[in-house]
Amino acid sequence: MLRLRGSVAFRLAIGYGALIVGAMAMISAVLYVGTIGVIDRGIDVKLHTASKQLTDSFETGGAEGLRREIQELLTDNTDQDTEVYLLLGPDGRRIIGNISESGGTVPPDRLTDQAVIRYGRPSISRLLPLGLPNGDTLIVGRDLQDVHEIEQLVLRALLIGGVVAVLLAIGGALLFRRQLEHRLAAIRRTALEIEAGDMSRRIPETDGEDEFTRLNDSINRMLDRIQRLMDGVRDVSNAIAHDLRTPLGRVRGLLDEALLARMPIEQLSDRARAAIRGIDDLILVFDKLLQIAEVESGARRQSFRPVALAEIITTVVELYDAAAEETGVRLTADIAGDAVALGDKDLLAAATANLVDNALKYAGNGATVRVGASRDGDTVSIVVQDDGPGIPANERDKVVTRFYRLDRSRSLPGNGLGLSVVNAISALHGGSLVLADARPGLLARIDLPQFDPTTFLGSDDVAPVGIGVDGAP
Amino acid sequence: MGCLVIEDEADTARYICNGLKEAGFATAWCRSGADGLHLATDERWDVVILDRMLPGEVEGLRIVETVRALGKSTPILVLSALANLDERLRGLRSGGDDYLTKPFAFSELLSRVQALLRRSAGPDEPSELRVADLRLDLWRRRAERASRPIALQPREFRLLEYLVRHQGQVVTRTMLLESVWDYHFDPQTNVIDVQISRLRQKIDKDFSPPLLHTVRGVGYMIGVDA
Repeated sequence: MLRLRGSVAFRLAIGYGALIVGAMAMISAVLYVGTIGVIDRGIDVKLHTASKQLTDSFETGGAEGLRREIQELLTDNTDQDTEVYLLLGPDGRRIIGNISESGGTVPPDRLTDQAVIRYGRPSISRLLPLGLPNGDTLIVGRDLQDVHEIEQLVLRALLIGGVVAVLLAIGGALLFRRQLEHRLAAIRRTALEIEAGDMSRRIPETDGEDEFTRLNDSINRMLDRIQRLMDGVRDVSNAIAHDLRTPLGRVRGLLDEALLARMPIEQLSDRARAAIRGIDDLILVFDKLLQIAEVESGARRQSFRPVALAEIITTVVELYDAAAEETGVRLTADIAGDAVALGDKDLLAAATANLVDNALKYAGNGATVRVGASRDGDTVSIVVQDDGPGIPANERDKVVTRFYRLDRSRSLPGNGLGLSVVNAISALHGGSLVLADARPGLLARIDLPQFDPTTFLGSDDVAPVGIGVDGAP
Repeated sequence: MGCLVIEDEADTARYICNGLKEAGFATAWCRSGADGLHLATDERWDVVILDRMLPGEVEGLRIVETVRALGKSTPILVLSALANLDERLRGLRSGGDDYLTKPFAFSELLSRVQALLRRSAGPDEPSELRVADLRLDLWRRRAERASRPIALQPREFRLLEYLVRHQGQVVTRTMLLESVWDYHFDPQTNVIDVQISRLRQKIDKDFSPPLLHTVRGVGYMIGVDA
C-alpha cells in the first residue's frame, strides 16, 4: 500500500476516482430530489384538492351528500390502490371509509404520515384530516406504499452506481499505473544501461505522437548530443597526445642535446631561441584549442551584437593585402547587399582571417582569392574563394576535425586547427561552414542567419558595428 | 621608475623583476594578496604588475578595485593564465589598464608597461608627429620624409602613426593588431610582419638612416637607433 501511495499514477487515478464519485453523489442528490420530491409534492397538492372537493360536496349536499360522494369515490375503480377516505362522526365513530378509525390521534388540518389499516392491510398513508361544521371529521389520504417502493428503488440504484464508480476508479488507477510504469520502464532501463557504461543505448522508439513518444525523442536527442561531445573529447585527447607530444619531444631534444654537447654560448643561444619558438607554437595550439572550447561552450553568445559583414571583410582584406602581395596572390573584396549578422565581431573576423590565411597558403603564387559578403533572403554569407588546388570531395568533411591535415599540406606550417576554429565559430552563430568545389579551387562559405532587427532584444547599443542598418529599433 | 610586482610564483616574479631592473626600473616584489593590497594602496608606484590568482583571501582583481576605489590612477597591468575574452573584460572592467595572459614573452610585458607609462604621462594631441626627417601630418593624414611625400593607404598611415607615437619603444604584433586594426584575435601567421615590411619599403627604402627596426622575437620599433 505504501508503494501504491508513492506512485504518481496511483495518486492521479485516485484523484480522478474521487472526482467521479463526487460527481456521482451530486447527480444522485439532484436525481433523488427531482423524483421523490416531485412525487411527494404532487401527493400533497392532490390531497388538498380532494379535501376541498369533498368540503364543497358537504356544503351543497350536507352530511348525506358527502357520504354519497365518498361512497362513489371508493367504488369508482380509479386510484383504487392508493386512495384513502374516512368520515368520522362527532363521537369518533366511522361513518364511511376504507381505513380503520385512527381515533383522535390525527391533528386536524395538518398533513401527517401514519400507519393505518387499509382494507385490513397495514400501510403507511399520508392523511389530511379536516373538521366539518357538523362536528364530523373528514380524513382524505393516500397510501404511500408505491412511493416508498420507488424511493427504495432509487436509493438502491444510487448505491449500486456509487459502488461501481468506486470500483471503476480503483481499477482505472491500477490500469493507468500499469500503463505508465510500462512506458517509464523503457526509459529507466535505458538509463540503467547507460549508467552501466553503454553510451550507445537509446530508448526504443514507439509509434504514435503521445507525450511519451515526444519525451523519448527528446531524451534520445540529448543522449546523441552527449555522445557527440564525449566523442569530441576523446578525439581531442587522442590528438593532443599525438600532436602535442611530438613538438614537446622536439623541444626537449633540442635542450637536452645542447646541455650534453657542451655547446659554445652562441650555439646555446640559438638552441634557446629555437626552443622558445617551439614552445610558442605549442602555446598557439593551446590557445586555439581553448578558443574552440570557449566558442563551443556558447558563452560568447551573450556579447552578440549586429555586425556588418562588409566591415569585417574590408578589415581582413586590408590586414592580408600585404601578405597577399608578398605571396603573389591577387586578393579582392567583393561586397554586395547589406549583409548583417548577429554575432561577435572578433570571432567572425578571426574566422574570415583563418579562411583567407588558408587560401593564401594553399592556393599559392599566381592565384586569385576573392573574399565576399552576400545576402540571399534570410541567409548572409562570408565567401572566400580561390582558384588553387582545392580539397578533394572525400576529404572535405575531415578537414574540419581538429588536427586533421591533408597529406600534401603537411610540409607547410600550420597546426590543423584553423578550419575547426572556423567551424566552431560558424556553429556558435547558428550558421555553418560549407566547403565546395569552385572549379577550380576551393569555395569556403560561412552561412549565417541574417540579423533581424525586430527580434533583437539586446538591452543597449543596437547600432551595428560598422555600417548602419535601416529599421534598427 | 618604481614598479610593484604582485606575483605568488617566485620564478615568474624573478623573471619579471630581473628584466625590469635591466630596463632601468626599481622593483618591489610581494607574493601575497594581502601584502599586495597594502603596498599598492600605501605607496606611490609608477606602475603595478599584478597576478590575478594569488594565495590568501585577497584576489588580484580586488586589489585593482580597491586601488581604483581609493581614487588612485596608478597604471595597473593584470597578468593571468585566464585567457578567454570574458576574463580579459573582467580584468579591464575592474579597473586594470592592460591585461596580459601567461605565458608571455618578457619583451611583450616591457612594451606594454612602457606604453602604460606613456599613457599615464598625460594626453597630448599634437597636429604633427616627427621622427628624424619623417613627418606625419595628423590632420591631413599625409606623411613625408625628407620633404618628399610618401603615398600611404589609410590603414598604413594608422600603423605608422601608432609606431611613431610609441617611438623608441618596442611595440608587439598583438598591440598593433589591437590598436591599428581594432580586432582582438590572433592571426596565426605573419600578416603583421608583411604589413610592416611593406611600410618599410615605403618609408625606408630610398632614405637613410633606416627608421623602422625589427626587434627579433618581440616586435617593432621606430627610431633613429635600433
